[in-house]
Amino acid sequence: MAERYSSFQSGSLSWFLQRITAAFLVVVLAFHFFLLHFVNHASEVTFAGTTARMEQWGYMLTMVLFLLTATFHGVNGVYAALLNQGLTGGKKTAVKGLLAIAGLALAGQGTYLALVMAGVM
Amino acid sequence: MSQSYNRGLIEDFGRWKEFTAGMWAWILHKFTGWVLIGYLFTHIAVLSTATTGATAYTDTIQGLESLLVVRVMEVGLLAVAVFHILNGVRLLFVDLGLGLEQQDKSFYASLVVTGVIVLASVPTFLEGAF
Amino acid sequence: MSTQVPEEQEQTEPDEQAAETAVQQRETPGDRRRAERDAERQERQAAAGAPAEPDEDAVLLKVFRYDPEVEGKMEPRFDDFYVPRKKGMTVLDALIYARDHFDTTLTFRHSCRQAVCGSDALFINGRQRLGCQTQISDLDDPVRVEPLPHQDVVKDLVVDMEHFYDQMHAVEPFFQPEEESGGDLEEYRQTRENREKIKMSTRCIWCGACMSSCNIAAGDNQYLGPAAINKAYRFAMDKREGENMKEHRLNVMDQEHGVWRCQTQFSCTNVCPKDIPLTEHIQELKREAVKQNLKFW
Repeated sequence: MAERYSSFQSGSLSWFLQRITAAFLVVVLAFHFFLLHFVNHASEVTFAGTTARMEQWGYMLTMVLFLLTATFHGVNGVYAALLNQGLTGGKKTAVKGLLAIAGLALAGQGTYLALVMAGVM
Repeated sequence: MSQSYNRGLIEDFGRWKEFTAGMWAWILHKFTGWVLIGYLFTHIAVLSTATTGATAYTDTIQGLESLLVVRVMEVGLLAVAVFHILNGVRLLFVDLGLGLEQQDKSFYASLVVTGVIVLASVPTFLEGAF
Repeated sequence: MSTQVPEEQEQTEPDEQAAETAVQQRETPGDRRRAERDAERQERQAAAGAPAEPDEDAVLLKVFRYDPEVEGKMEPRFDDFYVPRKKGMTVLDALIYARDHFDTTLTFRHSCRQAVCGSDALFINGRQRLGCQTQISDLDDPVRVEPLPHQDVVKDLVVDMEHFYDQMHAVEPFFQPEEESGGDLEEYRQTRENREKIKMSTRCIWCGACMSSCNIAAGDNQYLGPAAINKAYRFAMDKREGENMKEHRLNVMDQEHGVWRCQTQFSCTNVCPKDIPLTEHIQELKREAVKQNLKFW
């Protein structure tokens, strides 16, 4: 039959990744809440405590991955919500660009922040 | 299209009394999703005080945490996150084609469990806020 | 009840007559026939002068009315009809009664009256249902009958179905086998298991109830909608069409406005008058599409 246009052009990739990130986030978000509200209380957070946690490489990597997946999941979710409302044409392209920039900025700033907290930068 | 009459909002959210479980689940999932992505941006912004120095970071966080409003809003955030997680798990099962017959019950269950977890967490969240 | 002037004074008399005949009891077949005839006559009289104060045995029908071509009816409104309750009466029966006895301009589609033709999907008491399949006795009084939401109203209860049909046609809703069957006029044989697999999806009657209930179809005009996706499922899962055809069908589904817009609200599954598990079918196509794409990595 018809020659295949490249895989994942049509919404299936974003749908699939949305589910994959969801499965990851379910666990990490629950962990994050538990760690910073029950094990450590949010009101007792200090810079020293934060750096102590972030200096553990495993923890820092988890947090960076948490940031990246959450950003994708959130921004992609917002985009999907707008598509559901019937966003098309030039507006769609504009929104897509805007969301991509916002997402990249967030991911960039967050990663930089993580490196600062880990004492790398 | 032929001549027609636009029935407007009455067709959508004016009909909220007639919404079924699946529809409510979607509305709440979307609402909590907007809150969470909004919070993520704020969260990173607040934590970014760490780049200006240790004391600025500690002071900002402890300053915010000393406000009762912030504490109460954190409970709200917990509710939003827990519901989004539980309903998200429900949706993952729906995506896998599992338990589609029980989709309404699993929605009610995620609401109840969210309520229980949030109520049980209130003491921890508001500890020392007053 | 907009057109006729009720003759209210005449109401009481036949009522008494009816009461009398009822008291007499049915002794002989002749008596029964006479009683039935009297009752019928009374009913006709009542209909001619629509009762201002309906008897308890009438069901109140609130029907959406709109006619863009008649001055004074351009503003949508609800008309009240009191229709005598009968055992086994459906909403469609009540509408037909109202049209035949009270207002001949009341417009709605119907044909087979037995949930096969799919022409009388209506919005009844806040939910998409087939008029012919919905028992009056199952509904709360008053019964509110409106045209399907999210579709343009042409007149009264008649909506424009063009867009729905366009979406249905977009998925190539016909059997396309890759190979000719064996001999001349030989039938295409299907395994029992495969038939069982697509059984529910073949039940669609194109009534449009699902599309009307879908919140996403309402917002995104390009979304194929549950009925069309179910139709695609019916053929994509039909093994007689062959693998290449299935791939082609999945490609049609695997578009931004194809299966991916479904948000699993279950609205379509809830309202389908033929009990087709629409959400389940859409979800299966999503997984199939992802699987197909993963294979090509």
